[in-house]
Amino acid sequence: MRYEAKVALRYLLSSKMQTALLIGGVGVGVLVFCFMSALINGLASYQIEQTVGSIPHITIEPREQTPKVLGGTDGTLILPAILRDNTQRSQIRAWQTVLDTVLADDNVRLAVPVVAGNGFITRGQAVQPVSITGVNPEQLSEVAAIGPAIIKGTTDLDLNGIIIGSRLARNLSIDVGQTLVIRSDRGGQRDVKVRGIFSIGVESLDERVAYMNFKAAKALLNLDNGISRIEIKLKDLDVAPALSASFAVSTGLKVTSWVEKNKRLFDAIQGQGSTGSLIKFFSIVTIIIGVSSALLLTTVRRKSEIGIMRSMGMTKGFINRVFVIQGVLIGLLGAAVGSSGAFAFTTLVMQLAVRADGSRVFPIDPSQGAYVAGIMLATVASTVAAILPARAASRVDPLEAISQ
Amino acid sequence: MTTTIEKPTEKVAERAPLLSVAGLTKNYVIGDLVTPVLKGIDFDIYPGEFVAMLGPSGSGKSTLLSILGTLLKPTAGHFFMLGNDLTEADERELTKFRNRNIGFVFQYHHLLPDFTALENVMFPAVASKLMDDVEAEVRATMLLNRVGLGHRLNYRATKLSGGQKQRVALARALMNNPALVLADEPTGNLDRESAHQVMELLAEINAESGTTFLISTHDPEIAKRCQRKITIIDGKVDSIETNPTVKQDVAAA
Repeated sequence: MRYEAKVALRYLLSSKMQTALLIGGVGVGVLVFCFMSALINGLASYQIEQTVGSIPHITIEPREQTPKVLGGTDGTLILPAILRDNTQRSQIRAWQTVLDTVLADDNVRLAVPVVAGNGFITRGQAVQPVSITGVNPEQLSEVAAIGPAIIKGTTDLDLNGIIIGSRLARNLSIDVGQTLVIRSDRGGQRDVKVRGIFSIGVESLDERVAYMNFKAAKALLNLDNGISRIEIKLKDLDVAPALSASFAVSTGLKVTSWVEKNKRLFDAIQGQGSTGSLIKFFSIVTIIIGVSSALLLTTVRRKSEIGIMRSMGMTKGFINRVFVIQGVLIGLLGAAVGSSGAFAFTTLVMQLAVRADGSRVFPIDPSQGAYVAGIMLATVASTVAAILPARAASRVDPLEAISQ
Repeated sequence: MTTTIEKPTEKVAERAPLLSVAGLTKNYVIGDLVTPVLKGIDFDIYPGEFVAMLGPSGSGKSTLLSILGTLLKPTAGHFFMLGNDLTEADERELTKFRNRNIGFVFQYHHLLPDFTALENVMFPAVASKLMDDVEAEVRATMLLNRVGLGHRLNYRATKLSGGQKQRVALARALMNNPALVLADEPTGNLDRESAHQVMELLAEINAESGTTFLISTHDPEIAKRCQRKITIIDGKVDSIETNPTVKQDVAAA
């Protein structure tokens, strides 16, 4: 193998321009591969972060009321009837036990009990419907990413505090520090003071959502014994589907992961991934075609040398290896050039492509460039590309080559 | 026309033949067209002989050398070398046999242009792992000194003159100490003086080391230096003549 490597290296060094172009070609292929990986993976991470950052990874809710089946009185006739039982309020009663069960799992970073319901805010003659969410003040930021969206006041939720959206505040002509009356659809009523006003930028949220202290909301919504849901944040997003299935079994409640709730996003990310894979696939195919055609030309150019080597008793295997090693060397060098170029390029794009407000034009992430995969695939592709020329070279008829 | 077949001197013929050719034929077939090139060749070559093969262009000399060099399969007949029937061997065996026992010198030197003179000569031994690097370098240096190129060891093949290249090719042919060197018009591409030098060298090496040479040539001057001349005409052995002016009992086999 050593001597084959020596011959291969000599061949590559003797045609420096061709070798440089080949390495450059493989490098560009790897650059595209790694750039696309950094872009697609970065984009997916960005989208997930944007979505999942503000939603629970797993939500535990009361079990849906199962339809009841009414039996016939004579014991033989069964008359099924589907009746949804709406007489009971949907709530998790033994929520503290469920919370303890959930928190005992190592994958769970945080579990937040939440009460939710509907109500009205009145101020003078004005009445506005609101969706009330009650949460422990220290856990508010985990349930809703309103911290950065606060345009006035704070996120401090004491027992008499409320945080409302900017459109609601405008509709009621209310400001931070002012008092208003909130009524729930269960008849509860409470005077609360506006502690903060947020503007998320989504009209329905800014007009309809109000956050209250967990205990205050519980009393307002008449949920003395239960809560509406438990919102869970995980250490690792990927375990959400499996873990939600496990919680469904252990708690007997309705458990939904963020993947199920955001199927469209998930499909879109997968679609992006497939498109990226296609582009990456073609970049690898380009490497194979480029290396293969260049090495085939080399076999034609070196035909008489191959012939003389065969006449000197070099085996077909020897000739084969000389060309395959050339493919390996081109692949390795091209991959090294391409992957380092891709890292530099993606870093440059990340740093330079910035909007006036500081946000990035491309959500590209240089750390997600799949460099190892790129290097390995390019080397394998280049090696595979060398097989055809290697076979052609080893099949050169020495007599024909020498007589040329 | 009568065919003259002269045996080598008794002393030479006492030895077992190095190469024995029996009823060798070769037809080239293109579609339905069958062209017979060799039509039953028989001769023996003995160890240490210096033999010329003469004949007009198209007589089948090159085809015969290619077959004897195991680069081409005959259509029929047999040839034996060192006791092996090479018509029966498979390609892998022939490749190994060629590396160990046959040296080639062609009309064109066919040196590897990206390698130095020394590396070119070392190539058949090192690439086939017959010798290690040190052993091969010692022998290659010795051979290049012998062909008068001790001062050109590390010159790239492309930097050498035509005559020098052919001398490197001769050293390369001798590298694995072959039993037989097949030379196909070895001076055909050289000027008069270089041709003379190469021919002198072939004869000297034959005399010194007893390496057997079979040299295909058009040149009657070269033929005059050989102990025997095999003349091929129209695919057949026309004559085998002993050259009385050349010493017959060459180096010991």
